[in-house]
Amino acid sequence: MDIVPVVESASVVPELHPHNSFAESICAPLLRNAQNPDGGWGFHPGANSRVEPTCWALKALMSLPSPVNSGGDAIRRGLEFLIGAQLADGSWPSTPQEKTGCWVTSLACWVLAGDSDGEKKYSKAITSGLNWVCNDWPRDTTWWRRILRKLSSGARHSWQNDSYRGWGWTPGTSSWVEPTSFALLALETQQGAEHRSAKKRRKLGGLLLYDRMCPGGGWNCGNPEVYGVAGEPLVIPTTCALLALRKYPERQENIQSLAWLEKNFAKIQGPGSYAMAQICLAAYGRRGTEDAASTGDLQAKNEFLRNIPVAAWMTLAASNPQNWLGPGEHS
Amino acid sequence: MRNRTLIPSFQRPPSRVTICRAASYEQELGTIIYESLVEFALPVKDKIVLLKPNLVGLDPLGVMNTHPAVIAATRESFLRLGASQVLIGDGPAMDRDTEAILESVRLREFVGPLARIFIDLNIDDVERVPLTTKASQLKELYMPRTVLGADLVVSMPKLKTHHWAGVTLSLKNMFGTVPGGCYGWPKNVLHWAGIDNAILDINAAVKPDFAIVDGIVGMEGNGPIQGTPKACGALIFGDDPVAVDATCCRVMGLMPERIKYLAAAGTMLGHINADKIQQLGETIAALRSKFAVIKEFSALSEAA
Repeated sequence: MDIVPVVESASVVPELHPHNSFAESICAPLLRNAQNPDGGWGFHPGANSRVEPTCWALKALMSLPSPVNSGGDAIRRGLEFLIGAQLADGSWPSTPQEKTGCWVTSLACWVLAGDSDGEKKYSKAITSGLNWVCNDWPRDTTWWRRILRKLSSGARHSWQNDSYRGWGWTPGTSSWVEPTSFALLALETQQGAEHRSAKKRRKLGGLLLYDRMCPGGGWNCGNPEVYGVAGEPLVIPTTCALLALRKYPERQENIQSLAWLEKNFAKIQGPGSYAMAQICLAAYGRRGTEDAASTGDLQAKNEFLRNIPVAAWMTLAASNPQNWLGPGEHS
Repeated sequence: MRNRTLIPSFQRPPSRVTICRAASYEQELGTIIYESLVEFALPVKDKIVLLKPNLVGLDPLGVMNTHPAVIAATRESFLRLGASQVLIGDGPAMDRDTEAILESVRLREFVGPLARIFIDLNIDDVERVPLTTKASQLKELYMPRTVLGADLVVSMPKLKTHHWAGVTLSLKNMFGTVPGGCYGWPKNVLHWAGIDNAILDINAAVKPDFAIVDGIVGMEGNGPIQGTPKACGALIFGDDPVAVDATCCRVMGLMPERIKYLAAAGTMLGHINADKIQQLGETIAALRSKFAVIKEFSALSEAA
């Protein structure tokens, strides 16, 4: 299987309400008020600043017009938090006490590169971060492990192509769908001025995503089959993979997975899945069905469990993804 | 903050495990659970209790997760016993949309709006916890502050077989306390550390105080997600999660001594020997219901 880039999709992104009232009246104030004095965001209002919620909050605020996002001051302080949280080896840790970087490095690079001045202002941080990403190989598919697996007479849990290699959640582990998708999103921001292995890694990562697709379309965390039983796709991994592979809308896998997402949109019960599905469908020029729950209904249930990334995704879902997502992966 | 000092099993007094008959989720569970908890005289007055159910994924049929009726009845019982706060917390391993899982299991319908009651342990604030047991190669874990700060942690699994660990009961259930926000979805670093050894390290670090196993309908075969529902009609309680798990195995027709992590837990975390477990309520024989296992674990069955 090879990734063949296709001509830019002819589909038209539907006219979205640019900043719907829910995002502006509920989510944006929540995000602004939840920013910590150190410039970062925790996973909940009042929680300690962490890299992941800071990245999503920043991405959301960047998608809003300046009057709604506090004139950019919140963004500037958030970006400074990110720069301060970077480790000496270029990576970012999931929590400030941690001294080892992980998957959030991709998110941080992606967000820094998405700032209008970011490419120049933060180029050193982005470059060292992406170098770390390029050097972070999964441990389950080293040549040595592949040989051992071939020689092993034991039963295999699944039939995945071990020559495809993506990214793990933490260093020295296995490839999974979401961290691989985030790494691809981060690496696509630096095409043309990239690490020597970036192109190869983008290709292998994309192939891994297609290899891990569930039978019939969609993705779960990365187990399309265990002990011969097909795994069920999940919304968030499906949206992450589709966003990372959005340059290939005509590939059968994309079409199948998009169809799965559209078919299941009205059944979505979680606000995080709902927002990510909306973002993904809009990125492919589609829209969720009318019979789905409203954002207000979802919020009324459990207040999104006061989850900052979910509030950020809701905000992003209200804006045109082409404004903040970029054109997509070029092979 | 709870005392998490380990007491070697040989120094521990006998553990107490109660087996209660409960035929269905529709029956009045509150009385069964409350009366069982009263027998244990747990020191919960004015304390913070954390219930840790097993919420592994979207479950519209209600077959893979701890049933919300059991969770709600347990929460009510602890409040009735004087707990100042009874929180419910879990960090699902495969799907980061925890709220979607909660809605699919209808937890809100049973306990009310969850914003102030439920803690998504995947994204809670964390603290570094050195792992002193060194069963796995992990030296430390970042663990949720809610788990570390609760006065009483109650593991509330469902009675299930597991395709990698043999069974998933109150000890394996503690995997859900490890935060996805640090380690991902799934928490793959634990698999690389060795599931059996990681179970020991996590339980030694968190040291759950009590266990309540939802065995009204369990799961057999290719659990914990793709197995087959298995009616067993039991709720199993105990003040030693190791002893509770050993008892659950015996109810399932499996031998706890042959389950690697449980055998090891029996040397350092609690009791698995039947003569060290004071059995209350129904007898094991009265509710024994042989659970099928995948062929890789056929040696666990008592008949093997």
